[in-house]
Amino acid sequence: MLAMTKNLLRKKLNPSLALLSALALVLAGVLVTAYEEQLYRAQKVQEVNAQGQILAASVAAALVFDDEKAAQEYVAALRTNPELEAAGVYGGNGAPVAGFARDGSEPLPRRAGAGTSYVSNNRVYTIIVVNQGGARVGAVYLRANLDSIGRRLVRYGGIILLVTMGVLVLAVSGGAQRALAAANTRLESQARQLAASNQKLQAEMQEREKAEDALRQSQKMEAIGQLSGGIAHDFNNLLSIIKGNLQLLQRRLSQGRTDTQRYLDAANEGVNRAAGLTQRILAFSRRQPLSPKPVQLSRLVENMGELLRHSIGDAVRIEMRLTADWAVLCDANQMENVIINLAINARDAMPSGGTLTIATANRSTGERPGLPLRDYVELMVRDTGTGMPDDVLQKAVEPFFTTKPPGRGTGLGLSMTFGYVRQSNGEMIIESELGKGTTIMILMPRYEMETVPVSV
Amino acid sequence: MRGRIFSAICIVTLALACRSSVAAPAETLEYAVKATFVYKFAGFVDWPATSFESPSSPVTICVLGSDPVAALIDQAAAGRQVGDRTVAVKYLQIFVRDSGCNILYVAANMPGDAANAARGAPVLTVGASPRAEAGGTIVTFVVQDNRVRFDIDDAAAAENGLAISSKLLSLARAVRPRP
Repeated sequence: MLAMTKNLLRKKLNPSLALLSALALVLAGVLVTAYEEQLYRAQKVQEVNAQGQILAASVAAALVFDDEKAAQEYVAALRTNPELEAAGVYGGNGAPVAGFARDGSEPLPRRAGAGTSYVSNNRVYTIIVVNQGGARVGAVYLRANLDSIGRRLVRYGGIILLVTMGVLVLAVSGGAQRALAAANTRLESQARQLAASNQKLQAEMQEREKAEDALRQSQKMEAIGQLSGGIAHDFNNLLSIIKGNLQLLQRRLSQGRTDTQRYLDAANEGVNRAAGLTQRILAFSRRQPLSPKPVQLSRLVENMGELLRHSIGDAVRIEMRLTADWAVLCDANQMENVIINLAINARDAMPSGGTLTIATANRSTGERPGLPLRDYVELMVRDTGTGMPDDVLQKAVEPFFTTKPPGRGTGLGLSMTFGYVRQSNGEMIIESELGKGTTIMILMPRYEMETVPVSV
Repeated sequence: MRGRIFSAICIVTLALACRSSVAAPAETLEYAVKATFVYKFAGFVDWPATSFESPSSPVTICVLGSDPVAALIDQAAAGRQVGDRTVAVKYLQIFVRDSGCNILYVAANMPGDAANAARGAPVLTVGASPRAEAGGTIVTFVVQDNRVRFDIDDAAAAENGLAISSKLLSLARAVRPRP
């Protein structure tokens, strides 16, 4: 429908048609003007004729009674009409009786012949025969000026103006139409090209998606493979804890002692932790959705003290400064996972011992430049280890990037941590100085609804 | 200008003027003009239909009394035509209503009330002298500025059942309008 209308419009106003219309308009203008001119002349002839008839009737008696003076008075009255150039009254024998011819115009004719009316040389000539009682008693002669060409042009100015405007409008619209048609053609070809390239792009995107799917799958498989080394290590640790406590329990029991609760608890905790670890592995492989809840980070870290000490060993001293008391919204298990991960990384960075500092603090709005203006809780994990060179620091959060030997690291620890923090609307900042240590800060937005009971 | 037309009229009326040897030339011309006027009036007057038997019946000019004008009327009107009508001239001793007159010229020697006899009859009365005013002729000659002119009593014309053309009325020196 739209295309049809567009087509119709284009057909309606194409340039040659516009030119034709303009020509037709000019022709119409000329015809109208000529017709007007014709009407004007006819009207003038009629007017002058009527004046002649009036004069003829008026002077009839004067002619019959040879009253030259009366005739002169009648003719003189016509002087007030500026269009009349000359007027004359002639007697029955055709000789002039009275009349006038304005200065500078041709004089009155010497004789007046048969009645007539005609236009010549831009003047109307009229001779009216005066009859009285059926006999010719004389004639009147009138000569009137038509309007000058200039005045007539002014009279037809309206038509000329209208025609000019019409032609202009047609010219402009015709030109515009032509330009528009050219632009349309250009646009159409561009649109066709765009559609073609868009289709190509779509196809490429689909192929790329397929390739990405395949790659992700293979990466996951590789991650699982690499992870199994670390998991075995963690599991081994836990099993050692369980085994050690069970041995201690066995020894106590054989000694007949009853203060065994401590070992049972420790073994139990080891089992729980192993279960938790399994859970986390499952979560990783399954991409379990996070279940965020209000969490007190200080209390969460406090509760992890034992686990941390077990994971890290005796060579590294653990220092805790837990001052934060605002809540944050996050998945507590994952947060534990993050902290363990960071602590293990820190431990690995300090093969010859050192200090691991874990700190939490309230940070008010705008305390650290470059961050959104809001309150947040800072969790800092700092080691006094080897630090990272810049090129390592640049790639630290990239998936599968690791400096650990095969079987020890997956290259996913920091990557997962970074993903998790961002998913929880937090920020992660890594600062490292070669030979002095690394500081990792996690900034979690403060959870404002403090009235909700805080778990952990 | 005026001299020219007067000389023109003189040529036309040369024979008449020359014949009337008693009068001075200027006066002779005046009489001739007046005599010509009398029949010329006929062209500007409409009589009731009953005045003529047919469209070609002659216009009858009756002359009552005698003066220099009266003497010239006969010759002035001879052979003239008013429309399809010829002009006939009758010299009367006494005017009676059924004498068939259409125009009655009352000469200067007639009593002032001579035209009264024609009152109410379809007759155009023409007087030659101011004296006639009292007698009520319809057209009265006057000489003004050496020109022969006339006054018209249109009221009297209406009384006589005549219609005088506005062309003639406009040429008159004075008009007493019809009521």
